Amino acid sequence: MINESFIRSMEEIVGKEYVKHSKADMELYSYDASVVPTDMPGVVVFPGTTEEVARVLREAHRAGVPSVSRGFATNLSGGTISHSGVVVALSRLNEILEIHPESRYAVVHTGVTNLELQEAVAPFGMFFAPDPASQKVSTIGGNVGENSGGPRCLKYGVTSNHILGMKMVTADGEIVDVAGPAFDPPGYDLRGLMVGSEGCLGVATEIIVRITPKTESVITMLAIYDEIPHAARSVSEIIRAGIVPLTLEMMDNTIIKAVEMGAPCGYPQDAAAVLIIEVEGMNAGLQEQAEKIEEICMATQCREVRTAKNQAERDLLWKGRRGAFGAICNLSPNYLVNDGCVLRSRLPEALEGVREISEKYGRPVGNVFHAGDGNLHPLLMFDSRHPEELEQAHKAGWGIMEVCAELGGTISGEHGVGHEKQEAMHMIFSGNDLNTQQDVKLALDPDNLLNPGKVIPLPPEGQRRLPPSEPTILRRPGGAAAAGVKEAMGIIKKARSEKKAVRFAGNGTFNGIGNYSETPAQIVDSLQMSEIIEYDNDNQFITAGAGVTLAALQVKLGEKNQWLPIRPSYFTTDSTTGSIVAMAAVGPERVSYGGPRDMLLGLQYIDSTGSMVSAGGKVMKNVAGYDMTRLLNGSLGTLGLITEATWKVATRPETCRMVAAVGSHEKCYAAATKIANSNLLAVSVTMVPEADNWKLVVGFEGLQIVVPSQIKRCAEVMQSIGLAVSGDSEYPLEEGCHTGAFEKIWQSPFVLQADVIIARVLECYLDLERIVRPDQVLLDVACARIHAGFVDLTAEQWKKIDSLVKRCQGHVVVLKASEAFRKSNDVFGSTRPEWKLSHAIKGVLDPDRIFAPGILPGRV
Amino acid sequence: MTVSAYYDDIAKCNKCGFCHVACPIFRTTGHESGVARGRLALLRGIIEKRVEWNEELEDPLFTCLGCGACTTNCFGKIPTTDLVLNARAEYLDKIGKKPAHRLLFEHLLPYPKRLHVAARAVALGKNSGASKVANALGLLRIFGRDLPKAEGMVDKLPMSSFRGTVKPGVYPGTGDKLKIGYFVGCGMDVIQVQAGKATFEVLKTKAKSVTVMDNCCCGLPPYTYGDLGNTKLLARKNLDVFEKLDVDLIVTDCSSCASFLKKYPKIFKDDERDAARANKELPMIKDVVEFLYADEQDGKKSSDEAAGSYHDAHASAPQQLTGTGKGSVIVTYHDPCHAVRGQGIKDESRGILKNLPGVTFKEMAEADWCCGGAGSYALTHYDLSQKVLDRKMKNLKDTDADILVTSCPACMIQLAYGIKRHGMKTKVFHISEMLDYQEQLKARQQ
Repeated sequence: MINESFIRSMEEIVGKEYVKHSKADMELYSYDASVVPTDMPGVVVFPGTTEEVARVLREAHRAGVPSVSRGFATNLSGGTISHSGVVVALSRLNEILEIHPESRYAVVHTGVTNLELQEAVAPFGMFFAPDPASQKVSTIGGNVGENSGGPRCLKYGVTSNHILGMKMVTADGEIVDVAGPAFDPPGYDLRGLMVGSEGCLGVATEIIVRITPKTESVITMLAIYDEIPHAARSVSEIIRAGIVPLTLEMMDNTIIKAVEMGAPCGYPQDAAAVLIIEVEGMNAGLQEQAEKIEEICMATQCREVRTAKNQAERDLLWKGRRGAFGAICNLSPNYLVNDGCVLRSRLPEALEGVREISEKYGRPVGNVFHAGDGNLHPLLMFDSRHPEELEQAHKAGWGIMEVCAELGGTISGEHGVGHEKQEAMHMIFSGNDLNTQQDVKLALDPDNLLNPGKVIPLPPEGQRRLPPSEPTILRRPGGAAAAGVKEAMGIIKKARSEKKAVRFAGNGTFNGIGNYSETPAQIVDSLQMSEIIEYDNDNQFITAGAGVTLAALQVKLGEKNQWLPIRPSYFTTDSTTGSIVAMAAVGPERVSYGGPRDMLLGLQYIDSTGSMVSAGGKVMKNVAGYDMTRLLNGSLGTLGLITEATWKVATRPETCRMVAAVGSHEKCYAAATKIANSNLLAVSVTMVPEADNWKLVVGFEGLQIVVPSQIKRCAEVMQSIGLAVSGDSEYPLEEGCHTGAFEKIWQSPFVLQADVIIARVLECYLDLERIVRPDQVLLDVACARIHAGFVDLTAEQWKKIDSLVKRCQGHVVVLKASEAFRKSNDVFGSTRPEWKLSHAIKGVLDPDRIFAPGILPGRV
Repeated sequence: MTVSAYYDDIAKCNKCGFCHVACPIFRTTGHESGVARGRLALLRGIIEKRVEWNEELEDPLFTCLGCGACTTNCFGKIPTTDLVLNARAEYLDKIGKKPAHRLLFEHLLPYPKRLHVAARAVALGKNSGASKVANALGLLRIFGRDLPKAEGMVDKLPMSSFRGTVKPGVYPGTGDKLKIGYFVGCGMDVIQVQAGKATFEVLKTKAKSVTVMDNCCCGLPPYTYGDLGNTKLLARKNLDVFEKLDVDLIVTDCSSCASFLKKYPKIFKDDERDAARANKELPMIKDVVEFLYADEQDGKKSSDEAAGSYHDAHASAPQQLTGTGKGSVIVTYHDPCHAVRGQGIKDESRGILKNLPGVTFKEMAEADWCCGGAGSYALTHYDLSQKVLDRKMKNLKDTDADILVTSCPACMIQLAYGIKRHGMKTKVFHISEMLDYQEQLKARQQ
């Protein structure tokens, strides 16, 4: 309860001037940028440090006061509106704390705006990939909370792909560091779970973001159409042609007019639609890609394609796009914006649906959206001074979400569920799916104090949980009906009733991964789940049973000139796709293609009650609910048996070539870091010892017209640093350019993998050598990862290595070791505070600990 | 008019929040009351009867710097500054005007001489009523922030005002074309006397004659407090002065005065006769920056016609300003809100400065951000204004400038104060002073 004494304690923590509670102040904190009904908080506090945030939340926890954290409250789904709780305004946490261009990351307060971050890293030739149209005013904290998208998502993926870690405050006021600047720490992907959790699971105060080198050049085009379906066809055809543009943005005539009324940006007012198409990359071949795009547009009945001649023209085109929401006020004072996502090929149907609904409810609509991702933004216009108009807008918004769900999509691709779309969650999730998500929330916030009553629909009056219902609209193929699933459900149900442990396996290659378990467990393998459940090459996704091998998946995709761009280290030809998910397995290409966490659109798994749970979907962007997909990814089968996964797939590169050079380790490393941080767009950068020297290997994959120039320039860099270039060669797509290297390491009795930051890879490796000399090693410089094989490893050496790697801001995992070693050591190293949160989640989702007990970090 | 009359404008805010980034106050306080979206939400709350007129509104209404940056960032171009000023008037009506307002607006500003005397009295701290007067003058941003501390004022306040030395009247110039009236703003008159003299000297080199006008305050201070009655009184007094003049242009070296003089027709929008008078004078009003730039462009044209003699003259006369050991001085410019947004003057100032020999012009980040000098309750909002200023100082530091140039006396005080507080060495000059210095060098060499 907020009373005088609570307010006084807030004043003691942050200072009187940073606590507001007058009636006028509450009016000012009763809204965000959405149109859900406003509500009054009880008090607003403005903490200035992480420590103050922690003390505020500790006090709120003690007093049982609910809280809502917010940045600038440009939220579009009502997620930052508080019902008589304490608003934790993070606007004072507005500093850019660190920028490390040499290691490709930066650390910022959550109250820094996206654009401020962009401007801060730009002088280093870097950028932060997520670029929501509101980037000028939306904060990084908000971007993380909503898992924001933006035009550039088409090429670079959503916010979550670019978040490395964060400092957060838990519901009871504890400060915890989640992940860090090094890739993929052990334990559950908590940062993945935190991203998009809409402030319901914790309050982040500092974010570690991944920054990316800017490409050499960019070409921006405006394609003008007389009919919307033609524009939609252009979008599909461009992607089918294997070109991945940076952006594919569509605006319809209503939006064009609204923008031009405010500030003319040069859009033709008589066009039915325009596309803003941008391609970027190396100078070589870029013009050709632009020409190819123009050709495709013209072949799909585009009226005209204009190309921005200079930065000023480019800025103008983007100014209009980025200001499109605001420009609506030139037509109508208010708007309600949906952000549902559909399969790209179904955009014309979706837009037709939007048009019908707009007519049915008499609310004019304008469309401006991320066409390449199938992510709609219908802006329904109304005047909030007329309640009946608002009601019509809400009804129309609901109808549009139904259309998206019917077309196999999702209710929210970017803006979050908040309060606005809460009930619509039923359209796409079952009761069990939603209860599971709520369980995750309660694992981290047992008293339901952080942004309560948002995201997950509330159970019926008087009940604690939602009834087990199917999604009201979305139909997911596969699930319990897929091959091998029913049987596995039976085994798990039985194990649960007998409280016996089970462990999941693919083909058995990685059964030794994780900590040694004292509990005998029944092995359940996924090999029966070997169906390709759905493959839609037009929309670039495939759903495959967990037992499908990666090799088989690649063959299937190869038929349509596509592939899953991942080559996990230590994988054999019969390793399954399920094990990629369970282990979050990656290879050296992770730096450019991302990991499974970035390619998984959705998955289904059997939970500890033996029931199916669905997570995510099959569209490119999906922020409906907590990110269960990322939580399950890398969970080592401790939360459930993954039965199927839906992957985002890519067009195969036309060519894969590598260039190698030989020299001292210092020179190889110097060249490697230079290449990794340059705009050469290398796919992998690794170095291995060779005779008395080291060999640097750099892989490039892509278009025939681009790769040779990348190779040439890469070789020039190598030579300039004094390396002897030993030539370049083509390599097979499935195999990659590290053939044999990982197999060799895996032959060692002990294998470990350390992740640090790019700037400290060599230093860390040389120090490691002093502790114990590996007999096999591969330094993946671009991923800042050390792979090493040892003949022997003692507990003492392991402790030293663990603290060495921690000093280098990383983490280290023993992937393979003798049974004796595994019995007496935690293979994930010394305890990280965040594991406590992982254990809490495990405790709630698998209360009887039947799934692989003991193998998690911390030996849980 | 009451707030309700502007319901349509206010309802146009769809809370997109783009004003947040642009607002110097919001970026300092992080509080929604310090940004257009919030201020408009409260005004809407008043109209829709959720919010009452009471003292809780004082901060939201009076912390606005009036810099107009929100409108520039607003898709609907909602004139928040005007809406807030209008609401201030209603606030003062309903909640009451403070005695300090009365003293300043009704008894000091209309009478330049009284203003001079009051300022001296406060500065010397001899008058027992000084603190009351000090508070009133504090509302005038031209006196800077430590006005109540008399000792701080003494070294800042020149012994004599500009018009105490150069009496109003007609002075011959060396130019051959124009007759210019020099409108002396309170800030130039009482505080920035050096700069006022520089303007006077520079104008004399450009004009056939310069008339130092016997004007009173332009009216901006009462206007920003929502006191339209006193604003009109001052404006009418000035129009009387303008009409008696025989000049081609009225030039002022205070960008705030310039932008406000240009606004006179709008102030009298309900008053046809005065509006007509104001409109008649409008084409004559020039910010000194505008005037000097146009003059320079003219000069360039005619000297180009004279076979490039302009360039030759410069080549043969090495008039180096000296910087801190770098050969040439680094100069940067701060855009007063009333120049850049008030009058759309931006490139002109750069044009003038870049043309000065021995000057390396370096653009400052966020040059058009308010320096915080415009805070309304100067005394109560001291901390806030300093935080806004800190941001400006950081940007200034990044330029390594030897000289910071601007064209508003209030900005000059604020900036100089910031530089002192931050232990920096940068000098603050009015743009006239830069030109006057060049003229002096030229004269010396001849």
